[in-house]
Amino acid sequence: MKAAGHVSWGGGGQIEAAQRIAARAAEAGLPLQLHLPNLPPLAEEGEARRLARKPREENPEYEWRGDPYLQVMDPAVVCDLLRWLREQCGFVQLYDLSAVDPAADAPELWVVYGLLNLAEKVRLELRLGLNKEHLSVPSVVAVHQAADWHEREAAEMFGIVFEGHPDPRALLLPEDWDGFPLRKDYEFPDQYQGISCT
Amino acid sequence: MSSSHPAAAYSRAPGREIELDVATQDCQIHMGPQHPATHGVMRVLLKADGEVLSGAQTHLGYLHRSAEKIGEMVDWLQYLPYTDRYDYLCAMNNNLGYSLGVEKLLGLEAPERAQYLRVILSELNRIASHLFAVGTYGLDLGAFTPLFTALRDREIVLDLFERICGARLTYSFIRPGGLWNDAPEGWLEDVAAFLDLFEKRWHEYWTLVVENRIFIERTADVGVLSAEQAIDWGCSGPMLRGSGVDWDLRRDQPYQVYDRLEFEVVKGSGYRGSVGDCFDRTFVRMFEMTESIRIVRQCLEQMEPGPVHNPEVKSVIRPAPGSAYCGIENPRGELGHYLVSDGSKIAVRVRVRAPSFCNLSVAEHLMPGSMLGDAAAIIGSVDIVVGETDR
Repeated sequence: MKAAGHVSWGGGGQIEAAQRIAARAAEAGLPLQLHLPNLPPLAEEGEARRLARKPREENPEYEWRGDPYLQVMDPAVVCDLLRWLREQCGFVQLYDLSAVDPAADAPELWVVYGLLNLAEKVRLELRLGLNKEHLSVPSVVAVHQAADWHEREAAEMFGIVFEGHPDPRALLLPEDWDGFPLRKDYEFPDQYQGISCT
Repeated sequence: MSSSHPAAAYSRAPGREIELDVATQDCQIHMGPQHPATHGVMRVLLKADGEVLSGAQTHLGYLHRSAEKIGEMVDWLQYLPYTDRYDYLCAMNNNLGYSLGVEKLLGLEAPERAQYLRVILSELNRIASHLFAVGTYGLDLGAFTPLFTALRDREIVLDLFERICGARLTYSFIRPGGLWNDAPEGWLEDVAAFLDLFEKRWHEYWTLVVENRIFIERTADVGVLSAEQAIDWGCSGPMLRGSGVDWDLRRDQPYQVYDRLEFEVVKGSGYRGSVGDCFDRTFVRMFEMTESIRIVRQCLEQMEPGPVHNPEVKSVIRPAPGSAYCGIENPRGELGHYLVSDGSKIAVRVRVRAPSFCNLSVAEHLMPGSMLGDAAAIIGSVDIVVGETDR
């Protein structure tokens, strides 16, 4: 029995799994870079340090808490990478695929792939930076069918083009919707088809 | 298509060759947006060759309310009521999923009593949700009685929720740091009394719905989803377990106090047809209710008095910069929240990985080859809530 209310940081062995996969990827020559969180849980943080913690804009040091992730350095290899993770490392399920716009003035969007290994019971997060000037990434539907609707959603919400998607229609929004709502620079419309939105 | 399916008999029927000489045309049928079997507002475009479906296409978006965008515009705690509204049949579980994600970013956890109460509430909500799922599934297949009997017992759970938090459907009761309040006096005893009552009544549902000859004929061997397909399509919850995959986040990636509780993970076994058919998914839901009874009883036994809210969580919180994914086992499958914080009081990103969304994406691929009348059986067996697929 674990300690009362144990929070498994990194989702139970997630940090070890990310380290292991990063080492294997380096051996196989795949462009993955490991990022580990460097802030401890709040309970382990000293009181003085907690008080000294400042919002990001006042805190130039990159300190963060949460899950580890593997940064994909080259968008072109993402299909091969997922296939390799599936066949060699047992990450058989793509449980989530989404994108994040960190800030309106940020040069890049992130595409986040969440992978699950059912046998070893671990998750893995892959993150891909996409320059906002050129939002294009290969579709991974050929590797994981689960990506089908997730990619359609990310495409209409962020304006990312998933090259080679078999059915790139809009999913949740009308086909004629203007703009990409989940982008930070999105401007809310005044009207849609003559219907006031304000 | 399995050999016992009526469509298979159709294609083998003598005289088929003669029929082929007649010019035929595929028929397009719009099922929904206003159709009781779509459990919300959703449109399925069906293509039928006579009685046999040759294609299906799902059209979503009728209930899209930009929950993820709202998450980037309100405070971390202000977002909580929006979580109630993705899957309004199990709002307690949604509250829990979001709260655990925020707690992970904050780096703290709820007190032990709150954790036990959270498990009790989410398991009671699972019973209510599965009751509704089995009841409305009966309705989809043309039987009215199961829904009314299911609502009778679901009402008792909703009454319990009303007493603890004042709301019957959208609770916002489980929140980052713990709970809004402790259980009122006598509430836990009433939960125990409900479990005793429901344990007896469960057999009524079993004989009324699941052992019903018509129900078996309508669901066995219909919409068969293989284990490989289920994993590849990102299915989770009863949809994945119905296909025989042994996976339950409560056991395999335990959160809260689930690692102290004993329960079985129910899997589909092809009890009446083949593994992964519509019957197996209902079978899993039925037995998950009995497991929920076991879980709640253990919680009632193990929990002790204590605080129910972590005082570290104030009304305005600023989680440290970072990103965290937190997935929990909702009645419909894995509800995931991918939260990104930049250290301010408003989230950078609130991504909701909705279980019905992923489970529904496979349904249109199960339909081709089955009978037109089975379309409602297949969609109903996925147990979607459109509020969640569209968010």
